[in-house]
Amino acid sequence: MSLSGPSTDSVIQIRNLSKVYRDFWGRPKVKALNALTLDVRPGEVFGLLGPNGSGKTTTMKLLLGLLFPTEGEIKILGKSAADVGKNERIGYLPEESYLYRFLNAYETLDFYGRLFDMPAAKRKERSEQLLDLVKLAPQARHRQLKEYSKGMTRRIGVAQALINDPDLVMLDEPTSGLDPLGNRDMKDLILDLKKQGKTVLMCSHLLADVQDVCDRIAILYGGELKVMGRVDELLKAQDETQILSSKLSPEAIRDVEAVLKKHGANILKVDQPTANLEDLFLKTVQESRERPGHRTVKEGTAS
Amino acid sequence: MSFDPDLMPLVPALRHWLIVIGGLSAAAILVSLLSMLVIHGGKCLQLFADEVQGFLTDLVSISIRRVFALAKLTFMEAYRRKALLVFVVFALLFMFAGWFMGNDGEEITKPTVKLYISFVLRAITWLTLPLMFILSSFGIPEEIRLRSLHTVVTKPARRLEIVLGRVLGFTALGSLVLVVMSVVGWIWIVRQIPADARSMLICRVPVRGNLSFKDRNGQDVEKGINVGDINEFRSYIEGATKARAIWTFSGIGENSLDSEGNLHIENQFMAFRSYKGDMNRQLLFDYQFRNPEKNITYTTQAWPIVEKRGVTKAIPRKLEVPSEGKTYDLIKDFVTSDGNLIVEVSCIDREQYLGMARIDLFIRLPDQNFAVGFFKAVFGIEMIMILVVLMGVCASTFLKGPIATALTFILFILSGEDTHKFMDQLIGGKSIKDGWQGGGFFESIYRIVTHMNPTTDLPANYAFTIMQGVDWVLTFFLWTCKQVIPHLKYFNMQEYVANGFDVPFDQSLGPCLLITLAYVLPCVLLGFFALRIRELESK
Repeated sequence: MSLSGPSTDSVIQIRNLSKVYRDFWGRPKVKALNALTLDVRPGEVFGLLGPNGSGKTTTMKLLLGLLFPTEGEIKILGKSAADVGKNERIGYLPEESYLYRFLNAYETLDFYGRLFDMPAAKRKERSEQLLDLVKLAPQARHRQLKEYSKGMTRRIGVAQALINDPDLVMLDEPTSGLDPLGNRDMKDLILDLKKQGKTVLMCSHLLADVQDVCDRIAILYGGELKVMGRVDELLKAQDETQILSSKLSPEAIRDVEAVLKKHGANILKVDQPTANLEDLFLKTVQESRERPGHRTVKEGTAS
Repeated sequence: MSFDPDLMPLVPALRHWLIVIGGLSAAAILVSLLSMLVIHGGKCLQLFADEVQGFLTDLVSISIRRVFALAKLTFMEAYRRKALLVFVVFALLFMFAGWFMGNDGEEITKPTVKLYISFVLRAITWLTLPLMFILSSFGIPEEIRLRSLHTVVTKPARRLEIVLGRVLGFTALGSLVLVVMSVVGWIWIVRQIPADARSMLICRVPVRGNLSFKDRNGQDVEKGINVGDINEFRSYIEGATKARAIWTFSGIGENSLDSEGNLHIENQFMAFRSYKGDMNRQLLFDYQFRNPEKNITYTTQAWPIVEKRGVTKAIPRKLEVPSEGKTYDLIKDFVTSDGNLIVEVSCIDREQYLGMARIDLFIRLPDQNFAVGFFKAVFGIEMIMILVVLMGVCASTFLKGPIATALTFILFILSGEDTHKFMDQLIGGKSIKDGWQGGGFFESIYRIVTHMNPTTDLPANYAFTIMQGVDWVLTFFLWTCKQVIPHLKYFNMQEYVANGFDVPFDQSLGPCLLITLAYVLPCVLLGFFALRIRELESK
């Protein structure tokens, strides 16, 4: 396969990738992806964004060989998408954790470890490490997955994706089904993977999650690539300036406004910054753990 | 199934297998190339070469660890989804079977023993096979539906390993079920029969010979006399004439004798009386051992036949002829230089007739333990089960569960001996070249509608030529199907055990094993290919 373009050292190279779903008679039904071209570089966290039906998951499935492209070319870790050998270095977390519900956590990881030809001792050691990493409670590890909550299933899904210590991690809606604590753990995990030099490709429609962890993003709509670039550059407001300081008195604010007006600035808003809901939630849970029984809201307060 | 099937012709069978596999592979390659040409145009050859390369890479990159991981998963899946509840049905069957088949204190007879053995082996067969039909046909489609297979194929597991893992896993599960059921079944049979009647649980080891005949004048003939019986299985020799039924046994030596040096010959002849005669005794027969190389003959004493039950006679190694003052050695004097022993049977009673077929006389080697024969019959069930698993898994790679089950079941039904005979009739012979009487599908309809005699030639014009061409294509398709569908005539080993025989290797065990092995490669490869070209996430 020959790919045009400068990024020959990219982990993922996609050129003019199109996918048309056809009906039983071979007639085109849906064009899920239209001439997508993008590169994912080594060591970055790349986010595929878009509303439902925009082609994010289709792209990921094409990369993994679960679907065959109608047109275009893919190279992933230097190999064709159809080459099973590429999977040796890939970890994949599907949108729903499609695992074997009759296995328990250890059996699940042992099974996927065997698929990577890992010896028994290494499988055991790696399973313990990963179950600790995803914070799956020890008492839950011997229960069959059918008894797991969605969040627990998601955690074991993440563990199986990392069983082979992959170079490229592909996460489809990684925070789906997780509570805010799990959400935070997942984001920390992604950042930790980045620190270890792994490449992460994730797709999500939870924009805050993507903003928190991604270096670069691509926004798809209707199967077409609409925007691509670094997150900080894409979000930077080019004609505004933000100054953040400790709390000022009303006099100090008036003085600052006077100085800014002197320099011709148009002041749009002067306000106290607010924390986001995730931070508030995490702070509350943290305090509750540290001070059991302590209440911020008095007992009997209704509203 | 025939109780006495032909020996499997090994070399022609292997040649046939190679031709069928080669022909189907060539057809598959041709269809693939044409499809690629239509879809991709000029790039088809390159794409085809890529596919072949990928196919071969997958073939040589099989990991035994992955295959066993997938086999273990398959086993655990079936186990944890309560597939082994089949044991409960089996247990219930045997808990209450005694009510309906108990002998109520009466003396145990051979038919009762036969009934017990047949019941156990049939129960095992009909509980195991449906389970394997369903499990093997639903396994992969369910994984695709639940998408758990997606997590597997995004690991380095190759499609070939998935198919092999499934086949091995289901085979292991089925084998476990068979082992448990057969041990329980064997114990049940032994317990049902009182200790003093257990001698009826026998496992005779026969050496069968080839049968030829001489007529009343001593001339060689193909068959004996037909006494008017519509069933031509047996033919008859006339009493007190030169008519003989001649069995030629090969491979007879000292190891054919028992510990006391006797050769056991068992027969079960039919009597046909042309007049009433002495009704207080059965018709008489004798054996004559003949060695044409030394031109010597030894005639035994006359014995009465025992109809329907058979009779075994122990012939001593030392054969004394007091009138001549000679003693012959049965092995040294009567076994020819090429290892053949010729046994001639004559009927003593004048104008009475003895009927016989090839299986009616055999040399009986020392008996095997009944358990040996019983578990050989279970091995036959195991081979059928593996065939079902192979067909089920293969079908499930390109069909949904219910359709794959139906296809597997239909293939199984078509594998029967009667169905093969019916297909032979439809085709018009074992080869399509033999032609058929009355024409194929459309020609037959035409002849029926127009009341045209099958022997009358059709009018010579293009319409009839086209009709016959279409018939030829349909018949060729049926002929191809017949070559591909397994033939289970060698697989029914229950009859041997139920009738008190050991299961012969050359007539049953060996052919079963070879036929099963013959289907492993095509089924696994077809399943692999179907799964490889399939888009698992196709909408």
